[in-house]
Amino acid sequence: MFVNYLKIGFRILYRQRSYSLLNIIGLAMGIAVFVFIFLYVQSELRYDKHWSGSENIYRITTDYRVSENSEQIALTPFLLAEKIQNNFPEEVEYSTKIFFSDPSDVNDMSSLIYNDEVYEVPDITIGDSNVFRVFDYYFVEGNKDLSLTKPNTMVISTQVAEMIFGDEMALGKKLKTHIREYTITGVFEKRCKPSHLSFDAIVSVNSLTEKNIELLNSDWFWMNCYTYVKLKPETNYHDFENALNDFSGREIKKFVEKAKININGYTDYSLEKISNVHFNKVLLYDNPGNTDKIYLIVFAIIAGFILLTASINYINLATARSLKRAKEIGVLKVLGAVRYQLSLQYISESLILTTLAFVIALSLVELLMPQFNHLVGKDLTLVGSLFSQGGIIFGSLLVLLIFVLSIISGIFPAFVLSYLKPVNVLKGNKMIVGKGGNQQYSAGRLRKFLVTIQYIVTIGMIISTIIIYQQMMFLKKHDLGFKPENVMVINLPQDTTFNDRASEFIYELSGEESVEQVTLAGNAPGYTAGKRMFFTDDSSKIMSLNYFMVGQNYFKLLEIPLVEGRFFPEFDAKDSTVYYIINQAAADTLKMDTLIGHSLKTTFGLDGKIIGVVRNFHFSSFYKNIEPLVIAFSGKRARYALVRVKGGQHDVALAHINNVWNKYNRNQYLHYTYLDEKLTSLYNSDYKMLSLFTYFSIFVIFISSLGLYGLSSFLIEQRTKELGIRKILGGTANNILLLLVKDYLKLVLLAGIIASPLVYILMSKWLSMFAISIEISTWYFVLGILSALIIAFTTVFIRVYKVINKRPSLALSYE
Amino acid sequence: MVITEGLTKVFKAEGVETIALRGVSLKVERGDFITVMGPSGCGKTTLLNLLGLIDEPSAGKYYFFGQDVYSMNERQKTELRKRNIGFVFQNFNLIDDLTVYENIELPLVYLGWKKKERKERVEEVVGNMKLSHKKRLFPAQLSGGQQQRVAVARAIIAKPPLILADEPTGNLDSIHGEEVMNILGNLNKEGTTIIMVTHSQSDAAFSRKIVHLFDGQIINENITKV
Ligand SMILES: Nc1ncnc2c1ncn2[C@@H]1O[C@H](COP(=O)(O)OP(=O)(O)OP(=O)(O)O)[C@@H](O)[C@H]1O
Ligand SMILES: [Mg+2]
Repeated sequence: MFVNYLKIGFRILYRQRSYSLLNIIGLAMGIAVFVFIFLYVQSELRYDKHWSGSENIYRITTDYRVSENSEQIALTPFLLAEKIQNNFPEEVEYSTKIFFSDPSDVNDMSSLIYNDEVYEVPDITIGDSNVFRVFDYYFVEGNKDLSLTKPNTMVISTQVAEMIFGDEMALGKKLKTHIREYTITGVFEKRCKPSHLSFDAIVSVNSLTEKNIELLNSDWFWMNCYTYVKLKPETNYHDFENALNDFSGREIKKFVEKAKININGYTDYSLEKISNVHFNKVLLYDNPGNTDKIYLIVFAIIAGFILLTASINYINLATARSLKRAKEIGVLKVLGAVRYQLSLQYISESLILTTLAFVIALSLVELLMPQFNHLVGKDLTLVGSLFSQGGIIFGSLLVLLIFVLSIISGIFPAFVLSYLKPVNVLKGNKMIVGKGGNQQYSAGRLRKFLVTIQYIVTIGMIISTIIIYQQMMFLKKHDLGFKPENVMVINLPQDTTFNDRASEFIYELSGEESVEQVTLAGNAPGYTAGKRMFFTDDSSKIMSLNYFMVGQNYFKLLEIPLVEGRFFPEFDAKDSTVYYIINQAAADTLKMDTLIGHSLKTTFGLDGKIIGVVRNFHFSSFYKNIEPLVIAFSGKRARYALVRVKGGQHDVALAHINNVWNKYNRNQYLHYTYLDEKLTSLYNSDYKMLSLFTYFSIFVIFISSLGLYGLSSFLIEQRTKELGIRKILGGTANNILLLLVKDYLKLVLLAGIIASPLVYILMSKWLSMFAISIEISTWYFVLGILSALIIAFTTVFIRVYKVINKRPSLALSYE
Repeated sequence: MVITEGLTKVFKAEGVETIALRGVSLKVERGDFITVMGPSGCGKTTLLNLLGLIDEPSAGKYYFFGQDVYSMNERQKTELRKRNIGFVFQNFNLIDDLTVYENIELPLVYLGWKKKERKERVEEVVGNMKLSHKKRLFPAQLSGGQQQRVAVARAIIAKPPLILADEPTGNLDSIHGEEVMNILGNLNKEGTTIIMVTHSQSDAAFSRKIVHLFDGQIINENITKV
């Protein structure tokens, strides 16, 4: 029996191909976008929730204040983890430390050599043997618990293993950096375990020299490690936090007395739930990949909305189509069909459509997954998500949706139509439109409400996208205070052998036509800057100021002009004076009558003299205002070499640089970045948002247009005859177009008015992240609403155009 | 006023061809009152639709005040129709979402009349058609006969020179039927040209000329009155 319904269903759908196609595509796209966003949000929410006992894992963060300066940082001293492990055996199961490795940069260990081949692994760090006890990654090879116990051992991710060893077993193989050799003791699977931990390779902490370890172990103020604790289930984390601070307070006091440090300040540790780390944006030295939860909420709302509109559209279109068959229903009823039989017919047609839409949607998701992953920087899989926590719910949700959609869109028309007396339907009386048009009025109100909601989101998305775009363009064009174009930043090895030859290296680099300027630099704009404590005359007024170390040519190369005083003098081995150049912001902070020549002292004994003031330049990102900066001269030690290349001669220059590099660093990977690209990459998450918003906007526009098209079809369907009569009575095409479009345009306008303040609030919040931002102009709103109006008008016009150019006789014979 | 030459209309529906009209040539003078009669399905409604520019013929010519109508574009046709022709449809074709008053008023809206003028004129006609107490109702709330009177009222509201009426008394009892015929007769006396389809001999008696259609052809033209 049901097979029969399906057979007839297929025939009808085939006969109304274009309708079926429109409806399937709309629904499929809606579902596909929903699935994408769902996968994204789900993976974000799963961050660090999947560890066994993750509810007992905490990260320890530091809140410290020195003099007037207080800062919250994600780092702790090296010694903390071990102190906790040894002093809190009752409360703590494990504690572990992972070295801070500047996530925005590569370090010396990043070049790994195997079989004389150099591989680059940017995200490599150092950790103790408890890392994998706390974070129970799945080990493909090796033993989790023993993996980092011995010196010179390394654990790598499966991706790194595949990159270097291919199909071969990695366990026991040796990887070299230019100074040391490591034995691989484990391979862990990183995929499907979203975490704020980003390392791809980790080296055992006892690979460090004993001298270094001793040094690190004696300093409470040297913040360089992330510390994690896994508390015993019975431990109250509040109590532990207090106990820890009591303990550390005593220890720090002892340390300060012993080291004779004269600082008035405090250090306070807090426990942060591991699953909250990914959503923390306030700490210094934290993972830049952390996101604000507000984005997830916005995305989730968009996803829900897209699915809702796609479903409403589907139902609207399905209903519009089935009303066309009112007469058929009338006849069927006269012939004795009862309501459930009618419903079954509609439901079976609907089931075919929704199932097809789902199949297409899931294929679309599977097909576009690589692009989507690239866009959001994840490695999601549909299957992976289905078989993960919550995957069952996700799967059932999809299946449930098929049925709910089928049943609603199947029952609704059958229900409404079959309530009509067959005689009325046969006579061609209109349905839905009740006596006096009252019912139609309320049904119309509901539809208007839905259209308005659709357009609130559509317009909201359009305006938001415009604003985000404008802001990003604004940042791109904003004057940095220096010239980053054609500047290469080369990472230099940090060993003494190279340091001794750094100036030679630089000198050789400059010996090429295509190379304009070269300088050594300890810091570059856009890279993490250090902070140091300074004071001028009064040692109790200590300030924490940003600190750069730069080489001779630095200001000339970046074209940063001097405002006052002079640049660093030529390097002179006999002159032991420390010279400082400060930026204007620092000059303002220091508030002194005569700056030049004044001494600037530090807590670590590098007292010097201010010799110049340079114009402010954006040395960090546009998220921050230009902060005070102290720049010291460094003739030898440097993290980077900056090279200004002649425009258009990058290839020649690079070849030359490679040659020189290989002469000095046989076994090191030449890691270089163009400074302008590096600066752009600071806003990766914003560009990501821009492209997501752009895509979402397109989808929302498409889906709401489809909805409007369906809705106008629905109404025109009902009003075809009326339109014919109006035409005969003298209504022109324009009259009729206006009649049909007017209502929608009013709704779109209303939606625009409702959307605008919401967008304003949301976008103001987003813009407030930046120290430098555009003014939200009324024009963006006008433009957004106008484009929505044009899109809506065009959509309805396409549909209406067919009708108004029909001969009236065709409309009249329409029943 | 109206001249047709060899009007032919062929319907094609689902592969079946129906020849509804075969070469109808008709000449209607200004002030004529013509009745078209014939058995069901002989093409009467089709003829009125062609005369009213609602449909296009398969072949033939049509001159309205000497203008070749079928060479006009849709906009010109609309313009000509709204200034010159009033319709009473066989199945009324009232707009369900508009009240009786609004239905009747509609042609004046499209002619661009002022609201006050429209109101006066509509009140006048509504009075004549004895619909005053129904004017706030919707078509679905009226009887068939009342709907037909609304259709007639709408056709005559703008005082068009030509009225096309498809069985204007088809749903009326004899008393109301006669009232409608009186109104049409009076309009005709005031100079309105009327072409009417009817099955009723007594209605036909109001007209000056009867055209008999059979199977899409004119078989006989009678002049009943002079
Ligand atoms: N839209 C159409 N498609 C196909 N055939 C049509 C169409 N309209 C009318 N016909 C056919 O044309 C012929 C004439 O129809 P028409 O409506 O003009 O008849 P009529 O004389 O008005 O009849 P009645 O007195 O019953 O109203 C009929 O055979 C009818 O089936
Ligand atoms: Mg007829």
